[in-house]
Amino acid sequence: MASLKSKYQLAWWKWLGVIIMLYVIIGGLAIPLNPGILSITPQNSRTGDTVLISVTGYNTNFLSEKKIDAYLKVDQYYGIKSLYSDALSDNSIHFAFAIPQQLPTNQKQVPASLIINSAVDGAFVLPEGLFIENKDIGRISDNELRQLPEKYFTNNAFRFPYRNILHETIRNTFFHVALWFAMFILLIFSVVYSVRFLITKDFDYDHKSSSYTKVAILYGILGIITGMIWAKFTWNTFWTNDVKLNMTAISILIYLAYLLLRTSINDEDKKANVSAVYNIFAFVALIPLVFVIPRMADSLHPGNGGNPALGGEDLDNTLRLFFYPSIIGLTLLGFWMTEILVRFQRLKHKIYLYHETNV
Amino acid sequence: MKQMYKICIAFILIFTLNIQSLQAQTNTMDFLRSTGKIYTVIVVIVVLFIGIVVFLKSIDNKLTKLENLIKNEQ
Repeated sequence: MASLKSKYQLAWWKWLGVIIMLYVIIGGLAIPLNPGILSITPQNSRTGDTVLISVTGYNTNFLSEKKIDAYLKVDQYYGIKSLYSDALSDNSIHFAFAIPQQLPTNQKQVPASLIINSAVDGAFVLPEGLFIENKDIGRISDNELRQLPEKYFTNNAFRFPYRNILHETIRNTFFHVALWFAMFILLIFSVVYSVRFLITKDFDYDHKSSSYTKVAILYGILGIITGMIWAKFTWNTFWTNDVKLNMTAISILIYLAYLLLRTSINDEDKKANVSAVYNIFAFVALIPLVFVIPRMADSLHPGNGGNPALGGEDLDNTLRLFFYPSIIGLTLLGFWMTEILVRFQRLKHKIYLYHETNV
Repeated sequence: MKQMYKICIAFILIFTLNIQSLQAQTNTMDFLRSTGKIYTVIVVIVVLFIGIVVFLKSIDNKLTKLENLIKNEQ
């Protein structure tokens, strides 16, 4: 009985990793998005016109209210309030706006954000949804356009934020972004073991270091593939000549060269020494490639060039509730795979030593 | 080394097939874009799963080789 128990016993952190990943996948898929605006027609208008805007909503409940107010926000203080609303279904509604003759700006084309202020769904916005052609350029008295509400409704339901273009793919944060974080944690472990190998020359550290790197490379390749899929449906291309993308591709190539280096050296002692040194250099090269250079240039990818990723509204508290566990879960799964690889390499090394002494 | 080649070729094949099929069939693209692009998330999770399975399979193959080696020694 004891042997049976030990046969199916698993270290607690392996279970923890599996449970966390289940929590992330189930919770990350089950929790709905906040209401938002998918599209509006028309997208152009002119000053002096009365325009009927039909709005397609996402996760909205337009029918549950008699009258919903919408605003065309011209700038921080000025907005045009809708005249009436006519809900066709929960996801479809018409708003009528009377756009005044003059707008308080000298722009030719005035971008106006559509804000829907609903008591049930809360307030949500389509940034720069309608472009108003400014026929009479000049200022008018402030009061006419001061129609933005004093208070917006808030929706306290537990939901993920709705972002334009991203829509449901905001959930990829738990998988794509967390993969890179987990990869980095694994690489830190790998470097630590490389250094320890160089100090002690204990082959066990070499097994650990190379195994961590192998799993990290797997995570890196998966990160690139998942990123490409995500990009196809948000940026409409698998790959752009973006700094962040190219630099990560280079760093993955550096680490692929590490694998090649290891397979090309037959002498165990030499292999361990050379790969440990290369591993440290590769990690040192990774930091400027992934963390410094992309931040110095303009980039489409969040987290670079004045485009924050982990701040602001891109990662709000509801996302954090799954994002951080996902990093921990993927790291623990990575540790598990590493452990299997280490055990395999120890065995292989033992056989190698056996051959060395017996031949 | 042969194993590595196989894995690399499999990866490239999956990749190119995916891209070609996605580009050839706009229907698939529309499907992946429907209902707020939720299927993109599903595809990402499936890719993650397949990647980990392929990795485990490669370890499995290596272990089998080692086992055969030990068997032959005895």
